[in-house]
Amino acid sequence: MNKSASQLGSRKAGKESSRGTPARDAPIGNGPRLARVRISVSRPRLSHGTLETRKKHRGARRVRLIPDARKARPTLGTAMSYTLKAGQPILTKRIPCWPFADPKGRHVVSYDEYVRSGGYEGLRKALSMKPDSVTEEVKKSVLRGRGGAGFPTGLKWTFLPKLTTDESGVEADPGARYLAINADESEPGTFKDRLLMDFDPHLVLEGIAICCYACRIRTAFIFIRGEYHHQAHVLETAIKEAYENGIFGGKGLLGGTATGRGGPFAVECHVHRGAGAYICGEETALLEALEGKRGWPRIKPPFPAIKGLFGRPTIINNVETVAHLPSIVEHGSEWFTRQGVASTFPNGMASYGTKLMGVSGHVNRPGCYECDLGIPLRTLVEEHCQGMRGGKKFKGAIAGGISMGILGPDQYEAEMDFDIGRKHNVLGLGTACPTVFDQDTDMVAVARNIARFFKHESCGQCTPCREGSGWLYQLLGRIEEGHGRTKDLDLTLEIATSMGSMPGTTICGLADGNNWAVRTIINKYRAEFEARVRPTFVPIRMTVGAMAKG
Amino acid sequence: MSSPTPTITINGVRRPFSPGQTILQVANAAGVEVPQYCYHDGLSVVASCRICLCEVWSPNPRTGALEPFMGGKLVPSCQQTASDGMVVHTDSPKAVANQKAVMEYLLINHPLDCPVCDQSGECFLQDYSYQYGRGVSRFQEEKVKQPKKDLGNHVLLYSDRCIMCTRCVRFTREVTGTGELMVMGRGNKEEIDVFPGIPINNELSGNVIDLCPVGALLDKDFLFQQRVWYLKETPSIDPITASGDNIWIHHNEGKIHRVKPRENPRVNKWWITDEVRYGWKFVHSADRLGAPARKQYGYPAQSDFPRAYEIAVAGLRRAVEDGGRVALLASPMIACEEAYLLAQVVREIDREAVLAVGPVPVKGSDRVYPPGASEDDPRAFKVHAEKAPNARGVRRVLEALAGPGQVLDFEAFLRAMGKGTGSSGVRAALVTGNYPSAWTTPELLGCLGGKFIVAIDTLAGPHVDAADISLPAATFAEKSGTFENARGMIQSFERALTAFEGARPEGQIAFDLLHLIACGGEYERAGATRPEVYDAADIRSRMAAEHETLGVFASAVGHPAPRPQARPDMRLVEI
Repeated sequence: MNKSASQLGSRKAGKESSRGTPARDAPIGNGPRLARVRISVSRPRLSHGTLETRKKHRGARRVRLIPDARKARPTLGTAMSYTLKAGQPILTKRIPCWPFADPKGRHVVSYDEYVRSGGYEGLRKALSMKPDSVTEEVKKSVLRGRGGAGFPTGLKWTFLPKLTTDESGVEADPGARYLAINADESEPGTFKDRLLMDFDPHLVLEGIAICCYACRIRTAFIFIRGEYHHQAHVLETAIKEAYENGIFGGKGLLGGTATGRGGPFAVECHVHRGAGAYICGEETALLEALEGKRGWPRIKPPFPAIKGLFGRPTIINNVETVAHLPSIVEHGSEWFTRQGVASTFPNGMASYGTKLMGVSGHVNRPGCYECDLGIPLRTLVEEHCQGMRGGKKFKGAIAGGISMGILGPDQYEAEMDFDIGRKHNVLGLGTACPTVFDQDTDMVAVARNIARFFKHESCGQCTPCREGSGWLYQLLGRIEEGHGRTKDLDLTLEIATSMGSMPGTTICGLADGNNWAVRTIINKYRAEFEARVRPTFVPIRMTVGAMAKG
Repeated sequence: MSSPTPTITINGVRRPFSPGQTILQVANAAGVEVPQYCYHDGLSVVASCRICLCEVWSPNPRTGALEPFMGGKLVPSCQQTASDGMVVHTDSPKAVANQKAVMEYLLINHPLDCPVCDQSGECFLQDYSYQYGRGVSRFQEEKVKQPKKDLGNHVLLYSDRCIMCTRCVRFTREVTGTGELMVMGRGNKEEIDVFPGIPINNELSGNVIDLCPVGALLDKDFLFQQRVWYLKETPSIDPITASGDNIWIHHNEGKIHRVKPRENPRVNKWWITDEVRYGWKFVHSADRLGAPARKQYGYPAQSDFPRAYEIAVAGLRRAVEDGGRVALLASPMIACEEAYLLAQVVREIDREAVLAVGPVPVKGSDRVYPPGASEDDPRAFKVHAEKAPNARGVRRVLEALAGPGQVLDFEAFLRAMGKGTGSSGVRAALVTGNYPSAWTTPELLGCLGGKFIVAIDTLAGPHVDAADISLPAATFAEKSGTFENARGMIQSFERALTAFEGARPEGQIAFDLLHLIACGGEYERAGATRPEVYDAADIRSRMAAEHETLGVFASAVGHPAPRPQARPDMRLVEI
């Protein structure tokens, strides 16, 4: 049995791929400084593979140990044909990432280093503007939410209740409003926000400050995934630094700088750690969890912008989304719209800007890359990730987080932008963190493993998802073991199709994720499933002789 | 073009609604059946069971043309407020497919133990499975098995039957405010549970059993007692406290098996306290009086009604002839009509009879749920400290006869009895009880000595033994009548059971005595005349006619709402 799909749900996949290179090059043991190095670039790197693939490539695992091998590293980016439209990385400006820099040089960017390298300039510029013009700028940039749904951020901000101004132009007090930063990055195969929180926390904090100012929010919460212990610690340290340097706190943003709104504007920022549930990444479940309750999604309407955290208007943005804000404000929306691509659909919403894409799976160099939206998957895999592992054939890729469905073998050219859903029969771009499968992958096992994840993470509120996800998992498990019949396959498809918030049968989109993942895998690899199941025999009564009619 | 009263169309029929109502509320009010598990009028909306989803079309505000609402998604009717012109289908192919799917999902992990389940017969899962489910199960996998749990003094949880509607959890959070119940776990492994060491023992805990749409939460008291389809239900009024809670008595073959709340938004909403729920036990107590008794050589000896009546009437008359007074101690546990008739009995013998209301037990102080809510809050539920159903009604009736301020309370009655040795003192008394437990106090016993006492009671006690004549009375379940609750609402209740052995309702005893008095006190002279039969409705109209102040008994009595007729499963076929 090929277990290649088992890495899907495991957190290790993500961890190794983002930290991969430095960890691998670290000295082994306490002896002489020996390091394992790759001998040639073309040789497959076995960051993580299944038992079987490991066995197959045992030869490739043999590495030569040479003293201080770092000198033997090939130079960076020599063979790159793809460059960023902005000319240089934006989100990963301070975080060395392939192919622009060696991730070995990654370190936590302190406040001083952040400011030295042009940090908090976006915030300074934002404070000199009126809050509404900041919102307008973000709206014009068509920055779309990086958490998965791709909802335009500026538009989301305008859903907050309008503030009235008196004759002298002074705004009414908005009362308590909250910003909740969704750092509950629990989607298997997704590890983009972690990169930002790991190494450049102040970029996130600056984005938070800008968003709070634009929306007149005085309290921001970063809801961070329970398993992100280290990242929570880094963020907390960064927030402490920010308070010490007057970014946040009672005096006002940037040490009480006078704002375009008149007078200083103070923002408090807190980190709240989740308790380890995928569902808390759903925005209303996140609010429930922030309130200290069980993470059960709320029924909408009312939408959070009207009635959110503690019953007050609340904006919920992804970590990567707010990390884009400083550069948008600093360089303007026009600069931002020069990156990425416009929509290929008439009147479609464009996919501007860059995106962090964390690639995992059967590629030679898994990791987190910053690319313009619209980069073809083939370019991402073949150039950034240096090709498929072991030179094998591409079989498919989960577009961005497992809930988005799968790209089939004929969709290797798919462009990674927000139009991908309409073009390639997947749910959407999601987090744009593809998990790539090679030709040896057992897609039945992939489907079963995905179903296991959703069964485990279903919050249990709505009947179809609670019971359906468990049933799907059991069915797929049976099919994988070879005990399924053709009718089980049809039943699996039927169950997958009937649940989710898109047909309206559940409150949140978790069941949709389950549904799309399982359904697209079965549809795109139907032959593989059919090879596993035994045919269902339908008894046919035959009448012969004189009784037969016609 | 919108009509003056907004309407929505449900399954082709236009239904008017008041703004703010949800689609499901409109349908429920109109009697259109929409399947529902998690929705309850008294609780918040969670829209989690997903069976009430319907297909909705709404008019485009600009063109007026009908368009699929929410982009053609199915809409939870419990959550969606109705708006004018909406067209709702609960029987469209899409809605029916969802109903079938949800029923299938609910049943895949539900054990097939209906034959031993107490809920069987009144189970939503059974009903909807019959109406909306599919005939066969396609589930071949292993079911999730979950434990049975003891949640509190009255409540048992069979976790594997639970469908996670969370009505019980919401009840403990929103109505009692005690929050003992919670959801534990995730996905199809999740369970309802209590927090460790904190059982659900609040005063209203029994309501979670009623709220449970399936057989997950069960009543320890009713466990394996009776199949529900054998139970007959009779509307009644709380006989234990002053709240006047509306209840159903569920009984079979002369035995009460349980008491359930009867919905009344003006009194008890949908709930009753555990005190009321389990307060019927005295009806079947081993201490019930079953036959009249008279005192012989200082000891009570079993007698029969004619003999006991004759002695009673003779004794009461002698007291008046000796220049004494006759007193009536009307217990706050008897119905208004009975108090009226008993008062007529004593006033027939003695025009200036002393009328008094029996002791009104009070336990603790009034409580409001959820704690801290104001009493006027429409969601608040009040538990009354006064543990008698009809103290106000009895007083109202007696005052109408004796005049305002002339009716004594129990303390004054004891004082009146105590100085009754003089020529004008009380020489004889008619004492009624009907309390759910022994109520004789030493003071009462002390003042009864040396007087002619007729005790009418349900349970044996020292004062019954001490009485010259004791007559067995019927409990609330064995008669009809009216109670006036603490808020002055007069509500009628119906007879559920035939009276225990030889017991008779106090009202009937009063009629018998009145008949005997009219015949001169001896049955020999009665000839062919018979006493009237006690019928509460007749007496109410007579009371209203005879006394202007008792007009409320004709005009302001709350009667049980007629039970909606259940739709028969089968169609009549001509044979």
